[in-house]
Amino acid sequence: MSLLEVTGLKKIYKGRRGGASVEALKNVNFTVEKGEFVAIMGESGSGKTTLLNVLAALDKATSGTVILDGMNLSTIKESAMAKFRRDNLGYVFQDFNLLDTFTLEDNIYLPLVLAGKKHAEMKERLDKLAPSLGIADLLKKYPYEVSGGQKQRAAVARALITDPRIILADEPTGALDSKSSDELLDLFSKVNQMGQTILMVTHSTKAASHASRVMFIKDGIIFHQIYKGSSTDTQMYQKISDTLNLLAQGGDLK
Amino acid sequence: MKLGLYPKIAADGIRKNGRLYVPYILTSILMIAVFYIMHLLGFSEMLQNFEGASTARDILRLGTRIMAVFGTIFLFYTQSALIKGRLKEFGLYSVLGMNRKNLGRVIFCETLMTWGISMTGGLLAGIGLSKLAELGFAKIIGAGANYSFFISGDSLLCTFTVYSVIFLLIFLNAVRQVRFARTINLVHADKAGEKPPKANWVIGILGLVILLTGYTIAIKIDSPLSALFWFFIAVILIIIGTYLVLIAGSVLLCRILQKNKKYYYKTNHFVSVSSMAFRMKRNGAGLASICILLTMILVMISSTSALYFNREETLRNRYPNQLNVTTTKNGYVENYKEVVSKIESDVAKMAEENGTATDNVISYCNYSLSGYYGDNKVDIDLDPYSTLSTTLDYDRVVQVYFFSLEDYNRLCGENESLSKGEILLAIDGKLKVGDELAVGNESYKIAKKINFRNSNLRLAIASNVVSTFFVITEDLNSTVYPFKDHADFSGNSILTWNYNYDFDTGLDVDGQVALSKILTGYMQNEFLDQDFYRSLCFCREVERDDFVHTFGGLFFLGILLSIIFLLSCVLIIYYKQISEGFEDQSRFAIMQKVGMTKENIKKSINSQMLTVFIIPIVFACLHLATVLPIVHKLLLLFGHNNIPLLVICAGICVLACGIFYAVTYKLTSNAYYKIVS
Repeated sequence: MSLLEVTGLKKIYKGRRGGASVEALKNVNFTVEKGEFVAIMGESGSGKTTLLNVLAALDKATSGTVILDGMNLSTIKESAMAKFRRDNLGYVFQDFNLLDTFTLEDNIYLPLVLAGKKHAEMKERLDKLAPSLGIADLLKKYPYEVSGGQKQRAAVARALITDPRIILADEPTGALDSKSSDELLDLFSKVNQMGQTILMVTHSTKAASHASRVMFIKDGIIFHQIYKGSSTDTQMYQKISDTLNLLAQGGDLK
Repeated sequence: MKLGLYPKIAADGIRKNGRLYVPYILTSILMIAVFYIMHLLGFSEMLQNFEGASTARDILRLGTRIMAVFGTIFLFYTQSALIKGRLKEFGLYSVLGMNRKNLGRVIFCETLMTWGISMTGGLLAGIGLSKLAELGFAKIIGAGANYSFFISGDSLLCTFTVYSVIFLLIFLNAVRQVRFARTINLVHADKAGEKPPKANWVIGILGLVILLTGYTIAIKIDSPLSALFWFFIAVILIIIGTYLVLIAGSVLLCRILQKNKKYYYKTNHFVSVSSMAFRMKRNGAGLASICILLTMILVMISSTSALYFNREETLRNRYPNQLNVTTTKNGYVENYKEVVSKIESDVAKMAEENGTATDNVISYCNYSLSGYYGDNKVDIDLDPYSTLSTTLDYDRVVQVYFFSLEDYNRLCGENESLSKGEILLAIDGKLKVGDELAVGNESYKIAKKINFRNSNLRLAIASNVVSTFFVITEDLNSTVYPFKDHADFSGNSILTWNYNYDFDTGLDVDGQVALSKILTGYMQNEFLDQDFYRSLCFCREVERDDFVHTFGGLFFLGILLSIIFLLSCVLIIYYKQISEGFEDQSRFAIMQKVGMTKENIKKSINSQMLTVFIIPIVFACLHLATVLPIVHKLLLLFGHNNIPLLVICAGICVLACGIFYAVTYKLTSNAYYKIVS
């Protein structure tokens, strides 16, 4: 059984007072296996972020099912949702979403504290995680004192520290310079090699070329997907940009 | 650019920021209205017809000035909070090509509009409410009110001028704020990464020390005279202490809690404690201001209401009988017995001529002198100014009253006898005396210590402002004779001779007043030329008006100022809630994304808000409790000595303020929740 199964997902945004409604997701079907690193690509307005929000249970689908590790998201009660999200999902955002009232360390601890873990245990987990993310020296700093790349690494640490079943990343390199982007993508690859499942939404070809599979979404449906297989990052990059070119020209790959 | 554009932009700006501007304008309107009313009552001819309302008017004139100063400070504060929220908007205009001058014009138009609305509204409200205020004032000071409507051009003009100047200053300040900001800073004004609050041990502890020192001084003061001086010291220390403690101390506390890992890393504490540190850093000063305002209200209202409601008792303490004939002479009076018997027989005769007997007569005379007490000895040779300015020890200033045994036995219904060199001694104050008491070079053996409080002797002192010795001796003149030639620093004799003849009559109020006028005329004719510098007859009924006017005026001023202060508190709280709301909006969203439930967030925010808003009132109550002893000592200067009443008044004030505060909190926090959710 796949880790994540998405079937017949549909999301319609109702216009206010009889205004035109927008169909953000038409009919999305895909699965993600454990240990995969999947990228979802698409232009602005293609429904990427809506999809991710539905997967993260931040938004409710109009119809269709999302099953994560055998649990149907739509059957989870609203009150249990926060706990579900905390225990099973790690979220990495484009704009980091670190709380400026916390040090990086406390930001990373936040989901664990909410889960009621002991301080000793939290510290042990962080001590294991921090060196590999290269933030061991930054833990006592506040978000405003560190660079964007460092912030994002702290955000990744916050996502990883709960040992989530899947990491959902929304344009994680969107607010980073190219060097920081490269570092973050390498980090994602590394984390992925350790067995962490990652689902990333992006419109950066470079970011997508790190993934083991790239899905293209257009006008609310999964349009196409390519596997990396044994190709290098550079070859993958080429494949993706070819696909994007075709897409832009309105070509039909099916 | 077309000239019509600026007013349009300004009007838009005000309308779009209605949530910020409406309360601001309302406050301005109320301040202007109250200023007008105070000026009207204090300066115009409206109250001139009220017999003897001059004290009350003086008080209101003082109030008018206080209002002008406070209005300036407060509108400045509010407006800078207001402009801060709009810097981004100005930044955008600046990006779109407006230069500083253009922005200045927009601000000018805005200020002109707020000024216009506030001034019109304020003056109209002032005129409308002035009759109400006049009636209230007349009721409190017990004067009859007429039913004509009165508008004072002078008051209108003065209000107009004062508040126009204030608005001009506000405008200049706003221009300064915008001018010195760079465009990019304007755009990002609200995004500037906020520095984490640092725990400042030095300031935090210093604040606590200063606050506690202020408290200690406030509690320890013994004498009302020293109270006046120490009161200011204590007030200043408490104000500084409050600011430091709330700004630095509160952050320090949060930091200490954060250090305690077991406490900090708990779901309930984690978010609250860390956000509280930030919240207190931002709000410390505001909370301290609220706290000081609340304290002012509480102290003001509880003291003035206690004075006002106790006026009859104060009056009766001061004037136990309907009429009080009195005369005072500086120095030794060789023939005092003749003077006394002359007054006694003449006054009785004149009372009879006016158709009444003299009842409940209390007649006594005494000599008094003052000195500096220590070690069983009253030192009368010290220069009081140099002594006090070096030691500031008002508590050792002592008054000595000499009474004759004859007067004492008569007044108190006793039958004591004394041999030469012996005295009876009564002490008012906290002085310790052994078996002997020395005054200057004279030494007396104390035959017996007596209690003066329950006897008519207490009437001899107007108010127990400083500690007092009552020395009762066999022969008055021979006892004070050694001090005859002692002079004080200004060359006058240190001895003062005072005679009082108190009595009741069977006359009605008009008769009493008439008799007192006759007696005053008699006393002045007979004695004024003989160095008896204060010879007259007081009439309780006349004095009552004076008491009512003074205390009523203070009470009324207290109420008006309290209204303004309370309103200012409300406005500070409101702006705090709004700005907090905008700041918390994004945090609220993030916390939800990382797995906090809505209930969790709401609970945490609720508890934070509650803590933040409960702090000022708790501190204000604490302040009130500690300054109440001083307030009591100060009220003694007015002849008010009714501690239970003062405590009751304070209690009622706290209760009323608390309820009002809670309602405000509830209303403003609704505005907050609307923003965050």
